[in-house]
Amino acid sequence: MTAGNVGLWALGAYVLVLVVVAEVARRARTDLTPSDHFLAGRHLGVFVLFLTLYATTYSGNSLLGYPGEAYRRGFPWIMATGFMISIMVIFHAFVPRFRPIAVRERFVSPGDWVRFRFGDERTGSALRVAVGGLMGLALANFLLAQLIAMGHVTSEVTEGAVPYWAGVVGMAAMILFYETLGGMRAVAWTDAAQGILMLVGLGALLAWLLGEAGGLAEVTRQIGALRPELVAVPDTVERTNWISTILLLGLASVVYPQAIQRIYAARSGRALKRAFALMTFMPFTTTLVVTLIGLAAIPRFDGLGAIQADTVMPRLLGEWAASGLLGSVFAVVVFIGALAAIMSTADSVLLSLGAVVAVDLLGRSRSDPATTRLGKRIAALVMVAAVGVALFPWITLWRLIELKMELLIQCVPAFLLALHWRRLRATPCLVGVAVGTLIAGGAALAGVKRIEGVHVGLIGLAANLVAVLAVSWAQGRADSGSAGGSPSGRRR
Amino acid sequence: MARRLRRVLIAIIALLFLLSIPWYREAGEAPAIWLGLPDWVAVALGCYLGAALLNAIAWLLTEVPDRDPGSDPTGGGAGQ
Repeated sequence: MTAGNVGLWALGAYVLVLVVVAEVARRARTDLTPSDHFLAGRHLGVFVLFLTLYATTYSGNSLLGYPGEAYRRGFPWIMATGFMISIMVIFHAFVPRFRPIAVRERFVSPGDWVRFRFGDERTGSALRVAVGGLMGLALANFLLAQLIAMGHVTSEVTEGAVPYWAGVVGMAAMILFYETLGGMRAVAWTDAAQGILMLVGLGALLAWLLGEAGGLAEVTRQIGALRPELVAVPDTVERTNWISTILLLGLASVVYPQAIQRIYAARSGRALKRAFALMTFMPFTTTLVVTLIGLAAIPRFDGLGAIQADTVMPRLLGEWAASGLLGSVFAVVVFIGALAAIMSTADSVLLSLGAVVAVDLLGRSRSDPATTRLGKRIAALVMVAAVGVALFPWITLWRLIELKMELLIQCVPAFLLALHWRRLRATPCLVGVAVGTLIAGGAALAGVKRIEGVHVGLIGLAANLVAVLAVSWAQGRADSGSAGGSPSGRRR
Repeated sequence: MARRLRRVLIAIIALLFLLSIPWYREAGEAPAIWLGLPDWVAVALGCYLGAALLNAIAWLLTEVPDRDPGSDPTGGGAGQ
């Protein structure tokens, strides 16, 4: 049996398992409310919560985009391990204060926070729509990245038996079916299984690669001989970009809609903090491993273009599968793990997208089963649009991540700042979001990615914060000038 | 006490993140190999390992209450 046939059989078996899990999850649901569909009835314990956080954080981007970026940029990409840890550090500023409010108010969507915090202010609804719009765009971008990754993985591992387009369309249809039927419960269960597959498979792949190359030092020596600039100490722009990336990813991930929904879905605060404590080590078992895999690919596939670099992982899997029976077995494990990682992230994204659009943008009820149905229909429409774009990949997976984060980070003041600053009001936040988005979005449209290594999204955030402070100061002066004026109906 | 210790840990983590970036080296310099990696990469990984350990301790010291009206930034106002 050829490696392509093994991949094809593995794909078939995986799809079959998904159908069964979705049906079991459908039977396990207690009702049709958004809380049950989008948050699994808020009953995720520490183990499933940890694995679902893990599987959602480490997506197709991590498995294909990060090795691709390591291949392109060399050793400076070790920064990826740092920025994945920074996410778990910055959550300290968010989770302990946010969680009790979320539980008490029974939040379902990320925008529920904005509604609660600013809802009775004149510009509160506009802010909720702005934040929901940015999150919706970021989620659609995330979905697109997963579809591109799915196409690459299925076509490379089945050696073209499933072409790129069929991988995108077929797996998109599968996700839609799966998420619609099973909701968060099905997503969390398969996340758990996928997390274990990924850990085992990636470790084995790295061991095989290093064994083949003659050890890590030999890989480093070969890269140094082929492309010495990828091993040398990075220049000031690259170093500035390093810290910029840590800040961008760390801050923007705090307002990741899927992460926020997992804060809601946790059974208890205790389960949540333990899951975060475990998550802090996962960059070493995943990000570092895929970075080393991308580096080890440099001597093997010298000269791949930018978009092709995103296929180094499936190419390596193909070579591994062709190396013998043991290689075939482990390559299938990694293939299924990678596919499951992509699928689980895509369905988590779809789940969040449904909630964000139905509840935050359209303002539907959080407890009405009709909201669940509407969320599913909207998710299906976005999926169809994303499939259309994914059929013609023209951008690297890492660039998609950067764009997503540059949009999401503009929501940080409405969440993080609003959580810690009692007097912050909706209008300054709305002006800040508008200013930051204009700068980050305008620069991205003009093709400007970074200025001296600093991401335009971070520059947008700085302008966003300045606008928040300036408008807050102006409002404070106006309030103190008006006799008996109250800054907000909500504040006591 | 736990809260103060947590803050100290987070400050050390921030410092480790800054140290992980090779500001202390000349750009373009050819590195020595440590543990199979360029030396500045090995230093960065050491910093990240330290940051991860301290962060895990900080999370275990953190109280994440399920019900605490006192933490409401709006001063205890009712939701929508």
